[in-house]
Amino acid sequence: MSDTWTNRLSEYLDGDLPATERPALEAHLQGCGDCRTTLAQLRRVVARAQALDDRPPTADLWPAIARHVGVVSLDARRARRRLSFTVPQLAAAAVALALLSGGSAWLMLRRSPVSPASRPTTTRSPILTNVGTYEANPRYAAAVASLERVLAHGRSRLDTATVRVIEKNLGIIDRAIRDAQSALAADPANSYLNLHLAQEMRRKLELLRQAAALAGTRT
Amino acid sequence: MELTTPGVATLRRDLDQTARDAETADVALAASGDGRAFERLYRTHVARIHSLARRMTGEEHADDLTQDVFVRAWSKLSTFRAEAAFGTWLHRLAVNVILARRTTLGTERSRYDDSENVLDGVASRPHTAELSLDFEAALERLPDGARQVFVLHDIEGYRHEEIADLLGIVPGTSKSQLHHARMALRQHLE
Repeated sequence: MSDTWTNRLSEYLDGDLPATERPALEAHLQGCGDCRTTLAQLRRVVARAQALDDRPPTADLWPAIARHVGVVSLDARRARRRLSFTVPQLAAAAVALALLSGGSAWLMLRRSPVSPASRPTTTRSPILTNVGTYEANPRYAAAVASLERVLAHGRSRLDTATVRVIEKNLGIIDRAIRDAQSALAADPANSYLNLHLAQEMRRKLELLRQAAALAGTRT
Repeated sequence: MELTTPGVATLRRDLDQTARDAETADVALAASGDGRAFERLYRTHVARIHSLARRMTGEEHADDLTQDVFVRAWSKLSTFRAEAAFGTWLHRLAVNVILARRTTLGTERSRYDDSENVLDGVASRPHTAELSLDFEAALERLPDGARQVFVLHDIEGYRHEEIADLLGIVPGTSKSQLHHARMALRQHLE
C-alpha cells in the first residue's frame, strides 16, 4: 500500500503539513481506507513511544563513575577534615537514629494486638507525642542549634548562590514541618503525617549537616 | 503558602516542591565536591539517561555512554545555572555526549539513507519473529539515522529544526526519517 499521500501522513499527524495541502490530504483520507488505517497505526506508534518506561542499567554504574570522578578520595579527605564538627554531627545522627527507632517502635506497637485492658487511656499514639513535640525536644533543638552555629561561622566561605539555595531549602523544610504539624493537629492518628513529619525533620538535620560540613571544609 | 485546609494533597505538593529544591541543593553541594550529593543525582536520573543512550546507540554502548555522561556532568556542574531544571540540563548534555560518540562509533555511515529499503530488515521479519519482538527491540533494529530521529522526536520531544541542528541534517531529512521509522515500527505494536 502506497500512494502519493502515504509519505505525508506523519507530517499531517504532527501538524507539520502546510495548510495549503491539508484539505487535499483530508479529502483523500475520506476515500482511502488504507491511508486511514496507516494514519491510525502511526498515531499508535507515537502514543506507544511516549508511553515507554525508562529502565535503569542492569549493573550499578556508580562505582565506576565514582572512581572516574574521584569522589571516593574526596569523601575520605572530607571525612578526615570533618573532625572539628564531630560533636554536632554525632548529635544530629543520634537524633535521626532516635527518630527512626521511635518510628519503628510505633509501627511495631500499631501492628501488635492490644487488649482493651492494656490500651492506653490517651488516644494519641507514642510516636505522635515524640514527633509532634520533637522540635521542642532539647536534644533535637541542641543538634539543630549546633549545626546552625557551625554553618553561621563558616558561611562566609560559601559562595552566595550556595548560601541562597541552602537558606531557601531550609525555609521550605521548615514550612513543610509546620504544615505537617498543623495537619496532625486535625488528624492526630494519621500515620502518613507522622512519618512525613519525621522525614522532614530528618531532612532538615541532613541538610544542615551537609551545609555545615561544606562550610567547614571550604578554605 | 500556609496550610489552610490540612490534607494529603497539600502535603504532596509540598513534597514535590521540596524534592525539586532538594535536588537544587544537591547540585550546589555536588558542584562543591560532595560525592554523596552527586550520587543522589545519579540515582535520580540514571534510568532516563541510560534509556536515552540505549535507544540512541544500542544496548552494547549504553553503559559506557551513561558513565561518560555522568563523568562529564561532574566536571561541568559549575556551569549549571538554575534557569532550567537539572534534569533538562543533564539530558541536553547526554544528547551531546551520545551524538559526539556516535561519530567515533562509526555509526554515521548509513545514518541518513533516505530510501525505504533500509527499513526492510525491520519491517519484513517473519510474523512469528515479530511477535517475539517488543517495541524497544524493534526500535533498536532500526537504522541509526531513523532510530535517532525517532527517539529524539517521538520519545524525547525535540522539534525537527532542533534535530536537524543536532544531527547536521536538514529538517526535511529529519521528517522523512521519522516517517520511515514510524512506518517500520507500526508492525511491532502488539
